[in-house]
Amino acid sequence: MAVTGADPRLAAEQAGSPSRLRALVSDPAKAWNTFAIPLIVLIALAALYQYLGGVELTSREAARLNQPELILRARQHVVLSVQIAAWVIAIAVPLGIMLTRPWAKRLTPIFVGIANAGQAIPSIGLLTILAIAIGVGQRGAVIGVTAYCILPVLRNTLVGIQQVDDSIIEAGRGMGMTRQAVLWRIEMPLAVPIVLAGVRTALILAVGTITLGALVGAGTLGVIINSGVVGFSNPVLITGAVLTASVALLIDWVAGIAETVLRPKGL
Amino acid sequence: MDAMIRLEALTKRYPGQEELAVDNVDMEIRPGEIVVLVGPSGCGKTTTLKMINRIIEPTSGRIILEGEDVTDVNPDRLRRRIGYVIQQVGLFPHQTIASNVATVPKLLGWGKERITARVDELLEMVSLEPRIYRDRYPKELSGGQRQRVGVARAMAADPPVMLMDEPFGAIDPITRDRLQNEFLRLQEEIQKTIVFVTHDIDEAIKMGDRIAIFGDNHRIQQFATPEAILSQPANEFVDDFTGTGASLKRLNLVRVRDVDLGEWPTAISSVRREDALAQLDEVDQAFLLLVDSNRRPVRWVSRRDLSRADWNQHVGLPVRAQVPLNATLSDALDEMLTSSVGVAIVVDDGGAYRGIVDIDTVMTAVNTLRAETRERVAVAAWHAPAGAVEEGGA
Repeated sequence: MAVTGADPRLAAEQAGSPSRLRALVSDPAKAWNTFAIPLIVLIALAALYQYLGGVELTSREAARLNQPELILRARQHVVLSVQIAAWVIAIAVPLGIMLTRPWAKRLTPIFVGIANAGQAIPSIGLLTILAIAIGVGQRGAVIGVTAYCILPVLRNTLVGIQQVDDSIIEAGRGMGMTRQAVLWRIEMPLAVPIVLAGVRTALILAVGTITLGALVGAGTLGVIINSGVVGFSNPVLITGAVLTASVALLIDWVAGIAETVLRPKGL
Repeated sequence: MDAMIRLEALTKRYPGQEELAVDNVDMEIRPGEIVVLVGPSGCGKTTTLKMINRIIEPTSGRIILEGEDVTDVNPDRLRRRIGYVIQQVGLFPHQTIASNVATVPKLLGWGKERITARVDELLEMVSLEPRIYRDRYPKELSGGQRQRVGVARAMAADPPVMLMDEPFGAIDPITRDRLQNEFLRLQEEIQKTIVFVTHDIDEAIKMGDRIAIFGDNHRIQQFATPEAILSQPANEFVDDFTGTGASLKRLNLVRVRDVDLGEWPTAISSVRREDALAQLDEVDQAFLLLVDSNRRPVRWVSRRDLSRADWNQHVGLPVRAQVPLNATLSDALDEMLTSSVGVAIVVDDGGAYRGIVDIDTVMTAVNTLRAETRERVAVAAWHAPAGAVEEGGA
């Protein structure tokens, strides 16, 4: 909308985002809700550090439990999860939009069926098949977990657009807005909260499932857990588990904040 | 007079349905009039309305707008020339009131300043203070306020024609009455051509310059002035639909401004009480109406109030029953019955006292109306002995 690009009211709306960020910390109750998760993660990490300081590590354990290795694995974990989320959004949101258009409505059951299958097939099986088909490494892991995470975003995009009140669309069309304009200026903004909820679910699924990437050579914190299991080592196992949980909680926390900040005003 | 909207043999058949939803509707709507489409549910009134801006595409027939055949033009462009108000309002919940009202001007590519000025003008027109409401969101408004915004939004680009689909249908009766009156007053200024759908015959009589009654056969049964419909129903269906109490309904046809208002003794509220008492003695009334410096009614005071030892500015009965000049006699009668003094005070747009309506005013108006109608029926019978009705029926 070229006309409203410089609209002072729109500018005010955009300026609204930081103020909503501020609102998250303005009063003590909200601040507690906002920062409870990072605080819990900090406590868990401190406890882990304390625990590791008190145990004698074998040379094998020390090969896993050192700073460069842990940082490498954590970074792989986060980067792959975000990559997967980006692919999921890039595929599922346009697909969802398309399937709500009148000309493609009949195809909806087919695509939802495929997405359902993607989630129903055990992910470890899917990753193994992909590793055999395209070789071990990160590519197969990203494809497999992406397929696994499409469904929530696709379904929420469909529902998000379908739940927009018919009278709102009729009013828009009745004033001479084109179908395109109704989609981009009414249906999509109103679907944003529901789509974001789907993205958050997908992100959590991705963070959890990508640990299996360790089995097909994609790295991630799953490597630490796996070597703990294989080597019967509690310190390694516990470190891998606590770090994976911490990353999952922090990513979910960031997604939660994004949900609050990106929700259109007035809803 | 040239028609603003002409519908020619407009027909709608939904796919897979035997029966026509709208059967061969012919209609001419003149500039500046309110035409109400009324009828039982499923009679085709809403479908007819929605075919005018082609939200529903007609199966056959033509739509002529301002002399131009618009049956096949680009519907989006067509709709920007026609205001559209629906019962559920359909405000965009994620946009401010100002942004909602600016929808069509934005589509038409108006400049920023022109839009801002127009939005403020419109909000004032529908009695919503722009400074307060401009930046609010729809969920922060009441149902009545939302419908006002809906009306403002429909008028934004000053379209010559407005389509209104049960605009006051979902609003409580008291607010509905107020919105109807405000809308009629607004219409006197803006003089739009309005097509208005309702299922409520009383609303049709109140709002319509002419009424088209749709029947169960999806055709127009009668298209005439409210008065003609009440006094000369074209057929049994119309007679049934307008229902009993036709004389009472006809009070809806007369506006307060068109009758001779009664007078009532008034005094400025800062009057000395000796003077007030003297004034009451002169006239044969139990109450004196106190008005403020702008002649807005404030309180009723009786002789006893004026004689009280603790007489001050707050003694007396507050004024409740007030009606604007464009209210109907039916509204006035309603107010009168709730008033402790037994009269409805008539005030102008600024709220200043203009006169009163009492039971005598109503009776006189009813008698005049009856005589006028009898005369008109006689004249009509003289010119059209076959019993044809004005503007033709089905």
